[in-house]
Amino acid sequence: MMLLTLALVLLPMLAGIALLVARPHAQAKSIALLTSVIGLGLAVALYAGYDATNGPVIAFQHDWAPAIGLRMVFGFDGISLLMVLLTAIVFPFIIGAGWKKPLSEPALVNGLILLTQSALFGVFLAQNAFLFYVFYELSLVPVFFLLLRWGGEGRRAITMKFFIYTVLGGLTLLFGLVYSYLQLPAPRSADFAALQNVVIAPDVQRWLFWVLFLGFAIKMPMFPLHSWQPDTYTMAPIQGTMILGGVMLKMGIYGVVRFVLPIVPAGVAHWRDVVIVLSLIGCLYAAWIAFRQNDLKRLVAWSSLSHVGLMCAALFAANTAGITGALYQTLAHAILVVALLYLVGGLQERLGTTQLAAMGGLKARMPRLAALFLLVMIGSVALPLTQGCVGEWLMFNGLFEVSPWWTFLGVISIILGAVYMLFAYQRSMLGEAHKNTDLVDADGIDHWILVPLIAVTFILGVYPQPVLDLLHAPVEQLLTLIN
Amino acid sequence: MSAIILLSILGVVLLYMGLGNNKRLLAPVGILGLAGAGALSFLDRRPLPAWGHGAMAFDDLSMAFCVAMAGITLLLFVFGSDYYSRTQENVAEHYALLVFSLTGAFLLTSYQNLLMLFLGIEVLSIPLYILAGGKKRSYRSSEAGFKYFLLGSFATAFFLMGIALVYGMAGSFDLKVIGDYAAANAEHPAALFLVGMFFIAVGLGFKVAAVPFHFWSPDVYEGAPTIITAFMSTVVKMGSFAAVYRLIGVHITALPPAVERTLWAITILTLLIGNLVALRQSHFKRLMAYSSIAHTGFLLMAVLSGDALAGRALFYYTLTYALATVGLFVVFTVAKRAANGDEHIRIFRGMFKSKPWLAAATLIMLLSLAGIPPTAGFLAKYQVFVLAVQNGYVWSTLFAAVMAVLGIYYYLKVIRETFTTNEEGAVLQLNATNTAVIAVCGVGALLLGLWPMGLI
Repeated sequence: MMLLTLALVLLPMLAGIALLVARPHAQAKSIALLTSVIGLGLAVALYAGYDATNGPVIAFQHDWAPAIGLRMVFGFDGISLLMVLLTAIVFPFIIGAGWKKPLSEPALVNGLILLTQSALFGVFLAQNAFLFYVFYELSLVPVFFLLLRWGGEGRRAITMKFFIYTVLGGLTLLFGLVYSYLQLPAPRSADFAALQNVVIAPDVQRWLFWVLFLGFAIKMPMFPLHSWQPDTYTMAPIQGTMILGGVMLKMGIYGVVRFVLPIVPAGVAHWRDVVIVLSLIGCLYAAWIAFRQNDLKRLVAWSSLSHVGLMCAALFAANTAGITGALYQTLAHAILVVALLYLVGGLQERLGTTQLAAMGGLKARMPRLAALFLLVMIGSVALPLTQGCVGEWLMFNGLFEVSPWWTFLGVISIILGAVYMLFAYQRSMLGEAHKNTDLVDADGIDHWILVPLIAVTFILGVYPQPVLDLLHAPVEQLLTLIN
Repeated sequence: MSAIILLSILGVVLLYMGLGNNKRLLAPVGILGLAGAGALSFLDRRPLPAWGHGAMAFDDLSMAFCVAMAGITLLLFVFGSDYYSRTQENVAEHYALLVFSLTGAFLLTSYQNLLMLFLGIEVLSIPLYILAGGKKRSYRSSEAGFKYFLLGSFATAFFLMGIALVYGMAGSFDLKVIGDYAAANAEHPAALFLVGMFFIAVGLGFKVAAVPFHFWSPDVYEGAPTIITAFMSTVVKMGSFAAVYRLIGVHITALPPAVERTLWAITILTLLIGNLVALRQSHFKRLMAYSSIAHTGFLLMAVLSGDALAGRALFYYTLTYALATVGLFVVFTVAKRAANGDEHIRIFRGMFKSKPWLAAATLIMLLSLAGIPPTAGFLAKYQVFVLAVQNGYVWSTLFAAVMAVLGIYYYLKVIRETFTTNEEGAVLQLNATNTAVIAVCGVGALLLGLWPMGLI
């Protein structure tokens, strides 16, 4: 257990550093893919060896700066494990997305991607609040360089905006963690097991809630803190957007579950309605804007914003169905975002643009790609038998317990979601063909990437029980902490 | 004490060496002497009786500061062997004055009465007035030296007046007596004592470049020779903060409320002004000057937290800050040469392409200054936050956390330049000594973060 856990963090880190130092540009993507596949194997082994009914597992601990609460404690429970699996599943595909037409200097790109993965594993495996913070900030650094060097138009300014926005949330989070940590009786420990039981006065919780939540709200992002997101997602190279939307966004959800809900339950109770309303506003607003987009990549960015709004609302319903649904949906969303962005990237490669106006009638010339697009889209609008349907069903159940009206708003966003996705499909794939250039249909690599992702969506849509089993015990434990 | 004696002798020896024609020997002799001084400070660690009728006393903290300052000066001497290789005249004086200034910094770590504090500050400062104007034929350098001297002596006058007033009220120069006096009259401090403490705060505030006594620092940082700027922003800062901590962190802990409020106001202002103005700087040395002011704010916060561990936090913070700063000034000098004397941050452009390892070290040092994990600068800031919150300064800490975001922004601007490609591709020339200094600083800034070696 200890070896597996440490290997998950260290393997991508060392491989990433090796790629950055040695720069074997020709072999870079193979090395990175191999590393990430091994990482997936390690994560699956971790999952196989874990009995979900047991509590959290501490796999490794070592002192770092114990006087200020920072200790290296790695371990996991069901929620962590889900996030680790999510990261491990998604990354091979993110690396694969650069297979056909790699960015310049592939060794650096893949090295940075692996470093990000390592930091993300660290985030999800850390069992100490400050260790979590270390990895949380650390994951930003490789992404900063990915965006800065390989981003599109306006990358210098947008990257800075993204970084500063996120770091602002990060430092207030650090402050909040320090404050919560110091409310514990001495001798203190910032390990989750101890920190979750901290008792803080209700009136303090009211402001501490925002201090702790701000960073995660920016990360997700929650309306109205989202202004960095569409620009960043659009400007970033496809692989960068996949990392941001597929995995890094989930750090926000995970952080709320780990810190906000257990540490400031009274604050959550006090602000719950505000957060849910803001999230739902964001959800509808983003869906509407997605509908009006002419750029497919931007459309995916806004649709991601819309989905995450629903997840955030369900999370703050703070009941079994809501939290389980939101966590379940993180996995579904990660897979969908990566698949959708892969398609966007594929279209960009073939057409040289992501403008919907330049598309149309593609189905006639690329029938297989169109079919794959259709399947991914079915997952995205959460038709029954897809993973999204399970997650949304649970989330609506959770929201319904709080108020039927909010469920109603949530359902409207789903309808809007179906509308903009179908509309996008219509504009890109159906209709009259624009130009008569020869377009290459989906090839082997496209299938290798999209088919497994679609398969996961459908398998977990039909048989979600393994994931739900994983979440059952920790969510119940969390709810006893809240109440 | 033996270290202070050794340093004084070393300074004189260096000065005399300037008479002969052996410029190349200066740096090695200085390095040997500094290593000796560091070692002697370390050996003096065993509890010694107070020195000179209780004027000086050495403890673990003063030992740590002395060793670190000797180490940083040593790094600067290694850098100096290259920096001064193009200058012909007065090199020996420069080295000697640096050593004299360091002697003053040593005094500041272990003084036990106000006169020794004054002596330490003057011994630290007077060589710097000369050194800041060290490039005799440069208008800006002369301006820096003159400005520093004028404002410095003005602040010194306040400081001396403050000592006189405090002496008048407490009846002694001895810190313990003054501390007891302050504690006994904490409720209703005498007006003269208050004024005296304010004046002392002005003098020390000037030394650490706290707002509103900071106006000298950007101009002096900009005008002074780079190696002197590096010395001022590292060793001088360490020494001054050791002094501030000994004064109000160890001895006069029961500050009159008015003084304490004023000091907090100064801290908040320092954080605000330092960070805000640094945002707009694109001249590297001015950027470092304002960011140095911002760091002063964090350090003051640690002192004012009044925590028993504040001394350790200060030491860790100043040490990591100094390591990163020295390394960056060496990188800056290298880049400036390649850019024919330009000092804008754009001179960092293209570094990643031509010298990736240099860019990596620069990245680590900048991240450390910005306080991004897992570098040492992160642990330093985080420890300050813990100390301040632990002692109830919650809102100030939140404010400081937000200010740290601004800090990240302007350091990121430099990082962005470093990793932006440059079509012209200026050729950076790195020799062995500079590489060694940068390597020590870069590795130190990372290693102290990953493994704080019991310093935290």
